[in-house]
Amino acid sequence: MDIIRKKYYWWNKWTGYALIILLFVATPLVTILFKLFASPGGSWSHIANNLLYGYFQNTLLLLLGVAALTFLLGVSTAWLVSNYEFPGRRYFEWLLILPLGFPGYIMAYTYVGILDYTGPIQTFFRNTFDISFKGSLIDIMNLPGAIFILSITLFPYVFLISRSSFLQQSKTMQEASFLLGANRTKTFFKIALPMARPAIVAGIALASMEVLNDYGTVKYFGVNTFTTGIFRAWFSMGDATTAIYLAAILMIFVFLILYLESLQRGNRQYSSVNGLNKPTARIEVSMQKKLLYSAICTIIFLISFLIPFLQLLKWVWLTHEKVVNQEFLTLIYRSFGLAAIAGVLIVIFSVILLYALRLSPFKWVKSITKVATLGYAIPGAVIAVGVMIPLLAFDKWVYDALLSARTAGLFLSGTLFALIFAYIVRFMAVGYNPVEAGFQKIGIHVNEASRLLGVRSTKTLWKIDLPLIKTTLFSGILLVFVDVLKELPLTLILRPFNYQTLATKAFDMATNEMIAESANAAVIIILTGIIPIIFLNQMIKKREL
Amino acid sequence: MSILSLRRINKKYGQAKVFAVNEVSFDVEEGEILALVGESGSGKTTLLRLIAGLEHPDDGTISLAGQVIVQGKESVPPHDRKVGMVFQDYALFPHLTILENVTFGIAKSKGNPEQLAKDTLKLVGLTEDFKKYPHQLSGGQQQRVALARAIAPNPRILLMDEPFSNLDAMLKDQVREEIRQIIKKTGITAIFVTHDTKDALSTADRIAILHKGYLQQIDIPKNLYETPVNPYVANFFGKRNELLATPSEDGFYTSFGFITDLEAKKYKRQVKLLFRPEHGEVVQREGQQLSGKIVKVSYFGSHQLVKISDDEGFRVTIRTNPGRIFDEVERTFFYLWKYDIEEAF
Repeated sequence: MDIIRKKYYWWNKWTGYALIILLFVATPLVTILFKLFASPGGSWSHIANNLLYGYFQNTLLLLLGVAALTFLLGVSTAWLVSNYEFPGRRYFEWLLILPLGFPGYIMAYTYVGILDYTGPIQTFFRNTFDISFKGSLIDIMNLPGAIFILSITLFPYVFLISRSSFLQQSKTMQEASFLLGANRTKTFFKIALPMARPAIVAGIALASMEVLNDYGTVKYFGVNTFTTGIFRAWFSMGDATTAIYLAAILMIFVFLILYLESLQRGNRQYSSVNGLNKPTARIEVSMQKKLLYSAICTIIFLISFLIPFLQLLKWVWLTHEKVVNQEFLTLIYRSFGLAAIAGVLIVIFSVILLYALRLSPFKWVKSITKVATLGYAIPGAVIAVGVMIPLLAFDKWVYDALLSARTAGLFLSGTLFALIFAYIVRFMAVGYNPVEAGFQKIGIHVNEASRLLGVRSTKTLWKIDLPLIKTTLFSGILLVFVDVLKELPLTLILRPFNYQTLATKAFDMATNEMIAESANAAVIIILTGIIPIIFLNQMIKKREL
Repeated sequence: MSILSLRRINKKYGQAKVFAVNEVSFDVEEGEILALVGESGSGKTTLLRLIAGLEHPDDGTISLAGQVIVQGKESVPPHDRKVGMVFQDYALFPHLTILENVTFGIAKSKGNPEQLAKDTLKLVGLTEDFKKYPHQLSGGQQQRVALARAIAPNPRILLMDEPFSNLDAMLKDQVREEIRQIIKKTGITAIFVTHDTKDALSTADRIAILHKGYLQQIDIPKNLYETPVNPYVANFFGKRNELLATPSEDGFYTSFGFITDLEAKKYKRQVKLLFRPEHGEVVQREGQQLSGKIVKVSYFGSHQLVKISDDEGFRVTIRTNPGRIFDEVERTFFYLWKYDIEEAF
């Protein structure tokens, strides 16, 4: 007769691992919250009196401007490609997503280069018509310029989400509208647009998060926002508390956006009630309209991707011999390595968190697990500050307690550990979401079946769950990889002294009047970024079917 | 000897106001097939998952093969319970072949796991295609694989969640019989959950009826049908007619006529006569019978249901053989050869 081992049913080691990871990931956020109640640093009154209003105004205008422009660009193109048949329609579906691969700061200095005295436009006018302008053709190094740059790189968020919303809207609903006598335009404004509103707002919210995260563009254009303020307080004034105050105000912006987004969604149900969700049939229009629609999409694609990308390629052509050397290859190797480590760690952590959730019958496990994904909404500069403070405190404790005070130095802060830690906090959601979707797709029953066949939870994970979600694990790693590769503000603050990645190198070169040289690193970042974009598009296309 | 026993099991999900399972106690005898029957939300699937260890009760005790497996906050994890389960969606491992699926749960110590798996597959009627993957099989074949996988490790009890719900009507009768035979051949104790009374009546030795988390009655099918403990159980196997009747010295007065019954004098107040459609008979000749107007005849192939109305429009349903031909609005006579008497208020 075998003896039955008893266990407390609510405890398993996965819950334990998950709690450790959550504690680790939540540290920076908790730090920011706690430090908020410390007395402000010396430079706070200076910033509050002289700069705060400007930060506030610029950040707000930037947010509103980008929201309006991404709405215009994203929704119009999404409506065209999901409703009309015109030349190139199939290609624009994914071409219009490509700008996402263009980090804002690279777009910014590429456009400065294009419009510059030595840029292609002015050169053309000079050589052909002998017309020359003074300085730059159009001065974009200001707030409207920053709005323009950020909008053309971020509108694909709105495009993607509203396109899939338009595609999911039931055919019968639109047909009902036509039969009631509404034309396409009226149907768009009265039916399609209101129904897609939650999706569109979600897209704009995502773009807004990216705007708050942006450091490169606004810094390069000299527009002072909260993010640049955090840098200034941290680096120029060495005032951590002031940086935290600014970070906390920035967080209020973030939560406000998240709150407004959830508020507008409310409890209303915008999806079709029945299961008859046949995609809307695209309609044929007159040749003139076809050409018009093609032209609109082409122009947006040219401005948001092709022209700046060709400019970058030209610069690579001119400078690669000088730039691409052993040191540059080390840079690629190092950046890829860093991104891969972050990707793999995030996916491992996500699997542990989600597996704990999978085995646990409790709701609270689900809600605390969500905390791990908050980082994606929080600007990189804020996370950097939140990571730095506990690590500095830890270093100080280590040196005071274990070593003599003489050998003061860096132990964790200012090392790659700090950088990778911050990447994990910031990009957890990027890896977590695909893994979560993967687990949901395979369902819980295969896991339960395995455990009922006498196989323990750990072995079940290895033999059943992981093999079944293999592809989502890879896509999770890939998505994190690309985001880390592009990441700028966090890397700038936390990288070890003189440590360069592709992103920081490109930014450093561009800000040091070496725009053409910086293109080499930029092109690698963009090309790598395009891979998961195409991947993502495939995933959405599959959902349509 | 009872192999599984549940004592005062309670289970509530999260913040839910009502219990999914409420004070449920019952025993399962070794080698029997028990059906847990109820509507959706009756707690039948929860009960199955509690036995499997995939959920934990708020309180109560479960013992399996003489050992306590659940008591208070303590619980034996599912992988140590030696419980076999066939899921409603079969939950076959899609990345493993049929043979690998069935071998998965067999302990290495048991001689030759692969041979044992093959034998089990043969037992459930699969003799080839061992190297195929689950998606290459038909639904019926997948179910056999799921059954083989569950019984191959020789579990102490076999649980099945809605085993017949994914099969079409044509296949169902055949599969019910086959599965019953396979289970009986292996001598394994089995519990299955179903919302279909036909599944339960044709496959199970005993049936437990659940309603809103409470166990209503557990008994052999004949007793449930003939001596239901309450109206819910009685109506579960098909609607009963309810006819109001006034008792007298030698019978009941109803709106369809008088029924001679010496039992009637035991009752003082108005009663309800409860009878199933098959407990009545339609006859042609006039006599000591009830009479009414035929308002609807529905043909079902094996039988017909005749709806008969009194002068006020109140209807009862009587079952007849399929060969009879009726004219609607025809006046007809019928009698009841079996009914239950219940006080009306």
